[in-house]
Parts: sequence; C-alpha cells; structure tokens
Amino acid sequence: MRIYIIGLIILALLGSVGYVLKLQRDNAILKDNAVKLETAVAEQKAIITKQKEDFEEILAANKKMNELVSNLKKDLDDLDNRFNKDGRDFGKVALEKTGAIERIINKGSDNASRCIEIASGAELTEEEINATKKSEINRECPGIANPNYVPY
Amino acid sequence: MFLTSCSGVKQLSIFKEEVKRQELNLNKPNPLVLERIKWHIITSENAEEVFKKLEAEGIDPVLFGLTDKDFQLIAKNFAQIRNQLKVTNELLDKYKEYYEGELKNE
Repeated sequence: MRIYIIGLIILALLGSVGYVLKLQRDNAILKDNAVKLETAVAEQKAIITKQKEDFEEILAANKKMNELVSNLKKDLDDLDNRFNKDGRDFGKVALEKTGAIERIINKGSDNASRCIEIASGAELTEEEINATKKSEINRECPGIANPNYVPY
Repeated sequence: MFLTSCSGVKQLSIFKEEVKRQELNLNKPNPLVLERIKWHIITSENAEEVFKKLEAEGIDPVLFGLTDKDFQLIAKNFAQIRNQLKVTNELLDKYKEYYEGELKNE
C-alpha cells in the first residue's frame, strides 16, 4: 500500500514538472507569437500608409492629366476662334491681304511644328519657358509651350 | 494533467513571398525634329506671279492646293494629333514615374 502511495506521489511530481516545462515552452512560443504579431501589425500599418500615399499620387496624377487635357482643348478652341472670330471668312481675308496672311500662316505653321516637337518630348527653350506676353508665346499651343504664360 | 499536455499552443508562422517584377526600362523615343514647310497662298490674281517666283527660285512650278476651309481642317487635324501625342507622352511619363519611381526610392 505504501509503495502505491509513493508511486502515485512520484507520478504526480513528474506530471507537475512536465506540466511546468510545457507551460514554459508555451510561454516562449506565445512571446515569439506576440513579437511576430507586433511586426505584422507594423508592416500592415506601413502598407496602409503606402496605400494612402499611392492614392494621393494617383489623384494628383489624374488632376494633372485633366488640367493638361483642358489646356489642350483650350488651345484647339483658340485655333478655331482665330479662323472664325466674329464670323470672319478666312478665305476672303486671304484674298484681300494675301501677303500678310501668307506670313501669318507660315509663322503659325512653324509654331505648330514646334508644338508637335514639344508634344513628342522636346525640351522647352528658355525663351519658351520665360514667355509671359502674347507677343512672346507660341500662339498655337501656349498650354504646353509656355508654362508661365497666363492668358489675359 | 497529462491530457492537458497534449493540446499545446501552436507556433504562429507568418510568411510572405514577394517576387519583384523585372523593370521594363524601355527608352523613350527621341523627340521629333520636324522640317519647316512653306505655305503659298495663290489667288486668281497672284497665281501667275507665284509660279514665276517659284521658277525664278529654281523650284518646280507646281503646287498642291487646299481651299481655305481645308486649310482650317488640316490645321485642326494637326492640332488634334499634337494633343493626342502630348497626352500619350504624359501618360507614359506618369506610369513610369508611378511604377519605376517607386523602385528607385527603395
């Protein structure tokens, strides 16, 4: 009988030791998990911040594109107005002032060619960048050729 | 007591796999450098004079004509092509800036 009791006590002690060891292992794992979760949360926060930045960048890019399209449309409308301003008949004007109109359309043609060069990626010249007066701008496409020109 | 030892806390494993895409890195085409063209306005009154002037300059006395209306149309067509070119180029720049700008910053 005594041997059984001693055996039971030994078993109980061994079980307790095993349980404490298991708790220690679990504790270590939990600590490890907590560190990993903290890292994961920090990473998620960084991702959310980056996403916010991306959205802002997308909005800014969209805004800039819309501004560009609007400027280009204005340039196109201006061209239309120049030909037909106040019901003007461009053909009749050319008949009356042939030499002057020839000079004007050749100047316009050169400007239009320069606009295509700029649109294809050519760098703006200092003169184009600094143009602020009507007499200085490229009248065919001030929207892309003369960034500092404010229509007046 | 022994049974509780069987169900332990499982180790959490977080893993991620990120494979970066190779950069495309295509060069942008060179900007255009266009030849300048000269327009001649011919009316019934100055036609003879214009052709004589061409001959005097050693240019074949032949002209390819447009009416005033068609001249306006060609001007507008070119303006539209130019606008499209600009928008397309700008889009390309924005995409490059958005995707490749990020890679440069890393």
